[in-house]
Amino acid sequence: MTTTTEGGWNLPISERELAQLTREMQDAHQETLPAMRASATDLAEELRARGAGGPRDAGRRRFLLGAGGAAAAVVLAACSSSKSSSSPSATAGSSMPASGAASGVYTGDLKVVALATALENQAVGAYQTALDAAKNGKLGTVPPAVADFITTAMAQHTDHAKAWNAVLTGAGKPAIMDVPLSNQADTVAALGKATSVGDVAKLALMLEDQAAQTYLFATYNVTSPAGIATAATIAPVEAMHAAILNYVLGQYPVPNDFLPVDKAASPTLLTV
Amino acid sequence: MMPAERIDTRLLEELTEQSEDLNSDALRITRGALIDFGQAVEPQRRWWQRGGLVAGAGGLAALWGASRAFADTASPSASMAEDIMALQTAASIENLAVSVYQTAATLPFIKDGNKTVVAFIDKTTQQHQAHAKAFNAAATQAGGKAQNDPDPKYKAVVDQALPTIKTPADVVKLAITLEDVAAQTYTKNVSQVSAADLRKLFASVAPVEAQHRATLLAVQALLAGNAADLVTIPVDPAKLPAAAGSVGFPDAFYKTDNASPTSEGAVK
Repeated sequence: MTTTTEGGWNLPISERELAQLTREMQDAHQETLPAMRASATDLAEELRARGAGGPRDAGRRRFLLGAGGAAAAVVLAACSSSKSSSSPSATAGSSMPASGAASGVYTGDLKVVALATALENQAVGAYQTALDAAKNGKLGTVPPAVADFITTAMAQHTDHAKAWNAVLTGAGKPAIMDVPLSNQADTVAALGKATSVGDVAKLALMLEDQAAQTYLFATYNVTSPAGIATAATIAPVEAMHAAILNYVLGQYPVPNDFLPVDKAASPTLLTV
Repeated sequence: MMPAERIDTRLLEELTEQSEDLNSDALRITRGALIDFGQAVEPQRRWWQRGGLVAGAGGLAALWGASRAFADTASPSASMAEDIMALQTAASIENLAVSVYQTAATLPFIKDGNKTVVAFIDKTTQQHQAHAKAFNAAATQAGGKAQNDPDPKYKAVVDQALPTIKTPADVVKLAITLEDVAAQTYTKNVSQVSAADLRKLFASVAPVEAQHRATLLAVQALLAGNAADLVTIPVDPAKLPAAAGSVGFPDAFYKTDNASPTSEGAVK
């Protein structure tokens, strides 16, 4: 049997075979997209029919007021201050709104959708910045498993953002192609200070936890059935990303019996 | 037989303790949700127990409205019955998972094998027990019975598989099946149950089962690559094969096509 050497360690299957397994996995992932897009279409139609009106229940109002954004900001600040090296060269999106207006283009459930889109864009930007930093040698030697993680997770976040943007445009609202979040500047700064794979992994874990918990919070605070279903199908995926990141960081991969919401993002983070 | 592992058991214990500390916060939140659910459901449960079927539906919807986003769907009695069945089926899946992990822990090649695998099985068993308890608590608060039996469909699958299990990889494969069914079922349940607090419960458990699956998929890949020595915490990421970084999350959106119907594990 062909073997592959990774760091002096022999695998009884080749890297090519592993790559093939990865491709098969990605093919399987692609198969899920049509159903997801159909769900997004349903949600857009539902919201359009509803006229994207104001808050409809107390639960959602609680969500719009937000519960976990402050906690996320604190964690981010901690990440940001943990290192003090090179100036930020990260370009993980802009902290300035490029779509919509500060008066609030997105209301009701669409505000939650906009938040979701922005969080996905934030994750995509962060991973892209990490890849760029790795290519430039800023992170030291990047293990193949970490590079593979970043590439695959980034692709999935891109798919999530596309799905949410389809909802926004389907409801007659502008797509969100950047990161209109008030914590984005801190995120970019933290990425800019990262000097190791561990630094990036910790920041990525924070973003994945934030995303998973935001979707959990959305499931019981939005009113649209299609929106609830969409959030429910994405939350486990972000949680899986977090599990692998925990493992890579030397931490237990399933730390909670029940996913908490203390790191969920608040829609008040939105700058559009 | 698993090859000799290298593991810092003290560190693992510390990590487990830290995990339990984090978990206690999550448990508090979930207990809060269950209490909220119990308070929200109490007026309807009394109505439910009186056996009213049609009259009063409008008034009930008003009572229900604050916590029920789908009050405009099926009749309250039907949705309540559906909720209870979903909770009982979830409990049945958890009961089966607990049973399988407890059985696996007694297998010689597990209990005398990789210490990280043993620790994972122990922790995962506890987590499934917590899930079963939460689902049954919600079912009884809604006026239903607790489900203490395993899911019948997947018990048959387990009964068929158990005699063929010879290696840790066999255990992992079976566990992946159960974790995936659980995650898919709860993901779908989020859209099926009628109360916001129940959506919260199902949506807080589905990602945890998905994390179990992600971990097991990574372990499965390492075992398939004859790299059981890398099934350890902490691991040296530099030694992991590239695919280990992504094999744990095969889909961008969690599938639900294999979700169990709400009636599958309901108390008869």
